[in-house]
Amino acid sequence: MSIRIPYKKFPDTRGEVGYFAAIPVNIALPAKNSPRSKRFEAIIDSGATRCVFHAQLGKAIGLDVIKGEPETTNGIAGPTTVYLHNISLYAPGGIIALCAAFSLDLPIAGLLGMRGFFDNFKITFDPTVLQCELERLYLA
Amino acid sequence: MTSRHKAVSTASSTEPRLSALRSAPPDSWIALSEDESALIAVGSTYEEVVAKSEKAGVSDPILIKTPKSWAPFSM
Repeated sequence: MSIRIPYKKFPDTRGEVGYFAAIPVNIALPAKNSPRSKRFEAIIDSGATRCVFHAQLGKAIGLDVIKGEPETTNGIAGPTTVYLHNISLYAPGGIIALCAAFSLDLPIAGLLGMRGFFDNFKITFDPTVLQCELERLYLA
Repeated sequence: MTSRHKAVSTASSTEPRLSALRSAPPDSWIALSEDESALIAVGSTYEEVVAKSEKAGVSDPILIKTPKSWAPFSM
């Protein structure tokens, strides 16, 4: 099964409108029946090596974020430190177990990147209808 | 739309969302109703916006973190 997701509009500083592909997701600790975060909007971003979430979301699910393995990431504004934790991502088609990065200064709630998200979906961006289509892959 | 596909939102439902984003304080968390048609709460932290949403009777909002400005994204 696949889902079609209309691009989301966001305002810009010129008073115009931009678009990104984003979906609501939850995260939780990996242990079965761990309480989930509230749903939050995360941007589908092939430019992100792995999934990155705001540190406040990590705290909300019970992580001591800065006790995770530190990793330096290269953003367009320069390198920054994130902290790695194993979590469960509640995405279309079911739970994904992944190692995610948590950032103290991510400007948005989350990025769904290559490791953990793109490797679980066939993703089609269609600018003619301003939609993104996600088809879940279940690889052996 | 075929049975293989499931629409999760509609184009018309994005306008209240856009208005909410325009009016929300920068670098804050906002909670939208499940259908994204109404702004439920605004808070400076995740915890604050969740508490305000629950107080407003919305237990399953969609949360959005607003950036410090709506400059173009390049992350």
